[in-house]
Amino acid sequence: MLGLLKAVGTTIRTALRKPITVQYPIEKKELPHRARGFPILLWDFDKDESFCTGCQVCARYCPVDCMTVTMKDNPKKAEGKSTRKKIVDKFYIDYARCMRCDICVEVCNFDAIVMNNTWEGVELSKYDRQDLVMDLPVLLRQSQSGELKDPFREPMGVAHSGWTPKQEEEEEVVEAKKEGGEG
Amino acid sequence: MAIEHHAPPEHELDTIDINVNVGPQHPATHGVFRMVLTVDGEVVTDLDPVIGYMHRGNEKLPENCDYRQAIGYHDRTDYLAQFNTEHCYVEAVEKLTGLTPPDRAEYIRVILAEFNRISSHLMFLGAFGTDVGLFGTSFMYAFRDRETIQDMFEEVTGERMMFNYFRPGGVAWDLPDDFDELARGVLSQIKRGIKDIDGLMMDNEVVLVRCRGLSPVSREDAINWGLSGPMLRACGIQHDVRRADPYSIYDRFEFDIPVGEQGDVFDRMTVRFDEIKQSVRIIEQALDQISEGPIMVEGMKRILRAPAGEVYMRVESPRGEYGVYVVANGSDKPYRHKVRAPSFCNLSALRAMSIGQYVADVIVILGSIDIVLGEVDR
Amino acid sequence: MILGMIVDNVWLDALIRLGGVAMLVPLTVIVLTWVERKVMGRIQMRLGPMRVGPYGLLQGFADTIKLLTKEDLRPTTADRWVFELAPFAIVVPIIMALVTLPFTADILIRNLTLGLFYIVALQGLSIVGFVMAGWGSDNKYALIGGARAAAQLISYEVPFILSILAVAMVAGSLDIGIVVGSQDDTPFIAYLPLAFVIFMIAGLAELYRQPFDIPVAESEVVGGPFVEYSGIRWSMFQLGEFVGMVLISILASLIFLGGWQWPIGGDVPEWAQAVTMAIKTVAFILFFMWMRASLPRLRVDQLMAYCWQLLLPFAFLQIIINGLALAYDWPLWTLTVMSLIGAGALVYLTHRAARQSGVMNQPTGVSAQQVGSVL
Repeated sequence: MLGLLKAVGTTIRTALRKPITVQYPIEKKELPHRARGFPILLWDFDKDESFCTGCQVCARYCPVDCMTVTMKDNPKKAEGKSTRKKIVDKFYIDYARCMRCDICVEVCNFDAIVMNNTWEGVELSKYDRQDLVMDLPVLLRQSQSGELKDPFREPMGVAHSGWTPKQEEEEEVVEAKKEGGEG
Repeated sequence: MAIEHHAPPEHELDTIDINVNVGPQHPATHGVFRMVLTVDGEVVTDLDPVIGYMHRGNEKLPENCDYRQAIGYHDRTDYLAQFNTEHCYVEAVEKLTGLTPPDRAEYIRVILAEFNRISSHLMFLGAFGTDVGLFGTSFMYAFRDRETIQDMFEEVTGERMMFNYFRPGGVAWDLPDDFDELARGVLSQIKRGIKDIDGLMMDNEVVLVRCRGLSPVSREDAINWGLSGPMLRACGIQHDVRRADPYSIYDRFEFDIPVGEQGDVFDRMTVRFDEIKQSVRIIEQALDQISEGPIMVEGMKRILRAPAGEVYMRVESPRGEYGVYVVANGSDKPYRHKVRAPSFCNLSALRAMSIGQYVADVIVILGSIDIVLGEVDR
Repeated sequence: MILGMIVDNVWLDALIRLGGVAMLVPLTVIVLTWVERKVMGRIQMRLGPMRVGPYGLLQGFADTIKLLTKEDLRPTTADRWVFELAPFAIVVPIIMALVTLPFTADILIRNLTLGLFYIVALQGLSIVGFVMAGWGSDNKYALIGGARAAAQLISYEVPFILSILAVAMVAGSLDIGIVVGSQDDTPFIAYLPLAFVIFMIAGLAELYRQPFDIPVAESEVVGGPFVEYSGIRWSMFQLGEFVGMVLISILASLIFLGGWQWPIGGDVPEWAQAVTMAIKTVAFILFFMWMRASLPRLRVDQLMAYCWQLLLPFAFLQIIINGLALAYDWPLWTLTVMSLIGAGALVYLTHRAARQSGVMNQPTGVSAQQVGSVL
């Protein structure tokens, strides 16, 4: 009988506590800095074009083959405004297939793709499955309009294998980029 | 079974056994699992489990993926203990290629795997309460703590469930700067939170009456049927892969292995509950011992090719012994990739354990095996 | 205790009162569904309904509207009349029992001299409805659930009635007005703790709530005898369950806690009586909901063993104690002492039965015929 009293005592104690649930659409919790939404592309404000050059590395390494990428000659290179010889022409990501594994971000040589750590990266209900195939303007929209304040851009995976202690942080990022550029 | 009453021969009375189909959609089976019970009154005389509703090709598809892409498949095999499965696969690849991950990476792996063990056992306790009849109270208590753990996982890796964080050679990126306080905060919340579950379920007379003495398993039967994990330890056998065949850095920590006595449903529940406390101990020791350092092995190649060979690696997942058998042939994709799932082996003992029990008890027994259908069907 | 008339014509007066009950009962049930969801939510550390209306107050109405507009399904192979009349067979007796159940000295429909007898007789009638629902649904799960429900309800009727009988013995009459009147200075719970404990346990079983809710066990036989019902017939079952809960709560506060007379006495205004009764009734209702959230369910053979091997002998014991005390004219505190000893023995034996192996713990072999002893 004592066990029963302990059980009902426990429930009455918890009944007097503050509830732990949050009323979702009205209040949303804050997503952490590293939150992993679906991938989006970044916009280079200096050169006024996307970072992505359409090199197809991410599409090749995607485990579920959710991306289709094509490249074209960069018209701004001819005009002398940019150093990128090629630029992305078409970029489709099928969000219905993407499993948010982060490998595309890890292998990208130009740090052009990043996981969306805002609520828009996860609130993606649509009525038709075809609406989940995102094309280039949609993927660039959030970065281009300046909404994407603080994406998680720490170097990943293999980039850590030439580890140096934290004081030389700037050089570490440059090292990673150089290694990535040559690989 | 024909029961003959004293009736004239032309009116012989038979009782027939009815088939009750506990179908793939049912609130009690943990996933899409189907049992066809043959029932005589209230007592089960035969049980026919039907699996395969969740088969996704988890062993064939990684043959087309290289070693880094295949990590995601292990997340989805046992979707409640993802870090343990990733740990197993990543260690297997490291054995094949001869890599040794640095110390800090090992500590990070152990800390996260033990947190995942706690959250898996919490999920079990919540779901088991629902099986026994508590109307969702145990679920909410367990999930309150599980949510804190998942929020911590989100701070570290970005995902709440399918992490894809371990890599062959180390981990993908470093822990955040405030991880120590974060982890210790979560631990103190867990220590407070399991007192609620303790008070609600462990001494509750009605739970005792339902679970104690229900389908006890003897030691010989447990070993013959190939059980592992908490099912085996509840029978009194002190076998834990972390002690018997230590992998990673588990030999640096002090922890006990809780065992039960008769192997009945109540013992399985207490063994899992005590394992939560032991995992808390391991995490505290690891947090004290972890130090700064690299998180990925030096000179890691971008394309990992494993020399021809084979390896079988096993870990102690919350459900039992999870094993990965990889055959490599020199290219960057595994040639054969097989998963030894503990839930599949434990589930094969269900028929022997439930013949002669009541229908209501079969549900409780199934809940106590703690299966995950992703593992069973792969 | 004379009943004040609202209007002079007896028939019109009865009609007005019946109309009042007919309007209040569904309203009470709707409010109770909201209360239950909120209370269960708080025990589980969550908020409960919050969206429909302020703090989810209109949730009960929304659920009722949803249930009323659902399609009324009937399986083609179901036995038509049995299937369709089963909800009525469960609900009508329970609402009829409200005829003689007083809320205060004046708020009741009619007072019968055989009030308690009438109430328990009608409670027993609703068992037929379960069997009808189980059989008429042409579904194995419903059949199992209906058989279990009938077995449980019939068994727990006996201790239930015996504990009410114990109260009637001490009060000297089956008239509820007299029972409440004789609790002027001490409520009967002080004289009959054993009968109170038996009444609460048997009452929980009569309402098929946790820990005795095997008939409607959701995770096992998916709803029991009610599995094929939808829409308004389903809502009638819910109505029956909640009205039964209100009935047993009011009955418990009347016969054990002194109704509207203790502790404030008989000459108080109407509203004070109503408030006293309301507090006691609400306390019992919250107690039932609290039990639902904290206790798992017993298996059907354990349930039956508990009733026949423990509750029933102790119910008889209480009657014997009453008989001795009243026949030999002993002072009433002896009754308290003996009854307390009995209650202590019941609690101790329950504890022992749960902790050690016996029929409450060991499931039997393939033949379910052998039933061990609980003691």
